[in-house]
Amino acid sequence: MAHQAHAYHMVDPSPWPLTGAVAALLLTSGTAIWMHFNSLVLMTLGLVLLLLTMYQWWRDIIREGTFQGHHTPPVQKGLRYGMILFITSEVFFFLGFFWAFYHSSLAPTPELGGCWPPTGITTLDPFEVPLLNTAVLLASGVTVTWAHHSIMEGQRKQAIQSLTLTILLGFYFTFLQAMEYFEAPFTIADGVYGSTFFVATGFHGLHVIIGSTFLAVCLLRQVQFHFTSEHHFGFEAAAWYWHFVDVVWLFLYISIYWWGS
Amino acid sequence: MNRVLKVPVLLHRAFSSSARRLRNKVPEAQKLFQEDNGLPVHIKGGTSDVLLYRATMTLTIAGSCYSLYWLLVASMPQRKP
Repeated sequence: MAHQAHAYHMVDPSPWPLTGAVAALLLTSGTAIWMHFNSLVLMTLGLVLLLLTMYQWWRDIIREGTFQGHHTPPVQKGLRYGMILFITSEVFFFLGFFWAFYHSSLAPTPELGGCWPPTGITTLDPFEVPLLNTAVLLASGVTVTWAHHSIMEGQRKQAIQSLTLTILLGFYFTFLQAMEYFEAPFTIADGVYGSTFFVATGFHGLHVIIGSTFLAVCLLRQVQFHFTSEHHFGFEAAAWYWHFVDVVWLFLYISIYWWGS
Repeated sequence: MNRVLKVPVLLHRAFSSSARRLRNKVPEAQKLFQEDNGLPVHIKGGTSDVLLYRATMTLTIAGSCYSLYWLLVASMPQRKP
């Protein structure tokens, strides 16, 4: 068998980029077909294909790193760059929604009553559930750092406990936010206030769910002995993403919930 | 009667911390995925890999054809009621 004379990872041919691309096609065209022809089949097919692709692609990366040893230091460096660049792109994504919020709220139009919050909008009290949500996410930032140090120090039980606590805090945030959404005195259809509020906080909530899922996968891997005290990049990537989600919330809280109320 | 007397001992063995602790199966997985059989990583795990791959590819091809069908339907003039 020929062995490589370099430290880089020449991946095996994989079908998942193709299946992922087709999933994107089915999701987009499926949404259009749902809008115009009232049929959900194409979009659902796209969603199922997307889930299958994500599961198998990331399963394969775990196999390549943990079981085949392909994630050498230079390869890990590339993965770090990749995760940082991805999170940077997400920062720009949220920047757009903050731009929209500040555009409308810094110079409120006469149609809104020339004021912010607009006439007729009852805002949420920033010192009630939103403040609790802030505390929950900040606490989860502490617990995920605790988990990281536990992994680095080889403390298996503590790592599992702190990671579990982090995930539970994430679920608690999602639950609280869902309750807030249900009880809110305004909807997404309530002018530009409603639009900016629910689109910005809604996308943030989606990222909390994604981050919680990523951490849950890390918990499963930690329980199955995948991480070593020296090499646990999957966990580090999840922790970076989680801190990013926390920071976005802080900006949301200060801008929309507090200043905007 | 002898079997009944053994129950406390057996229960202790079933619920002792050594039984609850998961066995580290990473070395076995490393052996499986480093086997020199020329298989690509996405089907190197065994039969379930192949089945899942076939299911995914079937949905991929079927989905592509289905989206093409809807493209043709959407391109045709609307049937007026």
